[in-house]
Amino acid sequence: MATTTEHVSLSTENPKSLPWYLIDLPKYLKGFGFLTIMYISLRLYQGAFAIAHGLDSSEPAFEQYWMRLFYIELAVIAAVASGFWGYLWTTRDRNLDQLAPKEEIRRYFTLTMWISIYTFAVYWAGSYFAEQDNSWHQVAIRDTPFTANHIIEFYFNFPLYVILGGCAWLYARTRLPLYAKGISLPLTLAVFGPFMILVSVGFNEWGHTFWFREEFFAAPIHWGFVIGVWFALGVGGILLQGVTRLIELLDKIEDAK
Amino acid sequence: MSAQIPISTFKPYRGEKSRLARAYDYLILVLALFLFIGSFHLHFALTVGDWDFWVDWKDRQWWPLVTPLIGITFPAAVQAVLWDKFRLPLGATLCVAALLIGTWVTRVFAYHYWNYFPINMVLPATMIPGALVLDTLLMLTNSLTITSIFGGGAFALLFYPTNWPIFGMFHQPVEVANSQLTVADLFGFQYIRTGMPEYLRIIERGTLRTYGQYATPLSAFCSALLCSLMYPLWWHIGKWFASTRYLSKI
Repeated sequence: MATTTEHVSLSTENPKSLPWYLIDLPKYLKGFGFLTIMYISLRLYQGAFAIAHGLDSSEPAFEQYWMRLFYIELAVIAAVASGFWGYLWTTRDRNLDQLAPKEEIRRYFTLTMWISIYTFAVYWAGSYFAEQDNSWHQVAIRDTPFTANHIIEFYFNFPLYVILGGCAWLYARTRLPLYAKGISLPLTLAVFGPFMILVSVGFNEWGHTFWFREEFFAAPIHWGFVIGVWFALGVGGILLQGVTRLIELLDKIEDAK
Repeated sequence: MSAQIPISTFKPYRGEKSRLARAYDYLILVLALFLFIGSFHLHFALTVGDWDFWVDWKDRQWWPLVTPLIGITFPAAVQAVLWDKFRLPLGATLCVAALLIGTWVTRVFAYHYWNYFPINMVLPATMIPGALVLDTLLMLTNSLTITSIFGGGAFALLFYPTNWPIFGMFHQPVEVANSQLTVADLFGFQYIRTGMPEYLRIIERGTLRTYGQYATPLSAFCSALLCSLMYPLWWHIGKWFASTRYLSKI
């Protein structure tokens, strides 16, 4: 089936249920809640074990408390990427040409929620843990690319927002007619540009290994991250594309009280 | 192809459509808040962050020059979309407020509570007054040229005086070990930073120091000139990123 119009009509019959266009709101809020708990837990873990066991990478305790966390993160990242992307692809809508306007509107709301979850992950990776990197490297002597903050920031937060951005891109491509007919330039920029931030980790670590060890944040070895994050401005174009299509779709449906 | 907004559809929604539009607004608000905290903060921290992190980097020469110059970038880009397409005169203030939220959260929880830097050593600077002027000028004039020249200039010129009440006290002189320092310098020497040794501190270099009390106004006016050029550049960068094109392949 191309649409879930039966689902939509059911939800509008019950006055206590959410409006049909906000059916995915509970999942969205649960996503926010889960991510918040996860990021705060990671920060608490750093508070508990970074100074105690994260200052010298040659100690056995570093392997136990930090490298073990790193390996767990890799497994989680692999599972989340294959799970979410696999689900979105295998459940794709194969009859988008028969999509009802109401269902398309609902999917635009869900796409906006996906992008919102993506930007929430960008906040933790680009704002909090990114600047925390500067703070930690003023305290620790950098003797490994896998410092107590890098293990969380570079090798977990960065891949996670890339996965969530990829989810938003895949959701649009597989469930919305305009995004299936053509590849949205702003959505692609907003997802693939910040992906290049993850790639810039290589340049950053090369620079800190062979160029200078100090944590001078404005140094050119960090500018790869900067250029990558400019592409997040593509969200303005996604908004314009969404609003334009929503106006067209709203004209096609009857208004309800 | 590009998306075109049909003019005939501009009419106020009522009933369910109006509730739907409002719900979409709220979703966008949440999305935009975290987007601008995350993206503008990363851009800012990795270009002029050091001047913003540390009180002993807040000098008379570089701090008032480089901070507004980088600080005007995202506000201009976001104004290009929010004002041009939605007539919302708040792009600059939204960006700068988002940046301040992000920096304050980090300074408290990452610097103070994790690594015990005194909060006075890592206070963020504010650009809110300049952003308010930038938004107001754009709203009143609806002109990119006037906002670039006068708004960009005001954004830079307001930076130092509006931060002076916060940071002026750290410029008080103290004598330590037969040397005259500022309180800010003393912070830097007392709280050892393994990744930011003294030889990397970029403050008051070159002959500008001999200009004495004129150092800050000179830096501020130099920044005003550069900001008036940076503003239209980033306005157009913002417009380019806000493309509504769909491609046939990538």
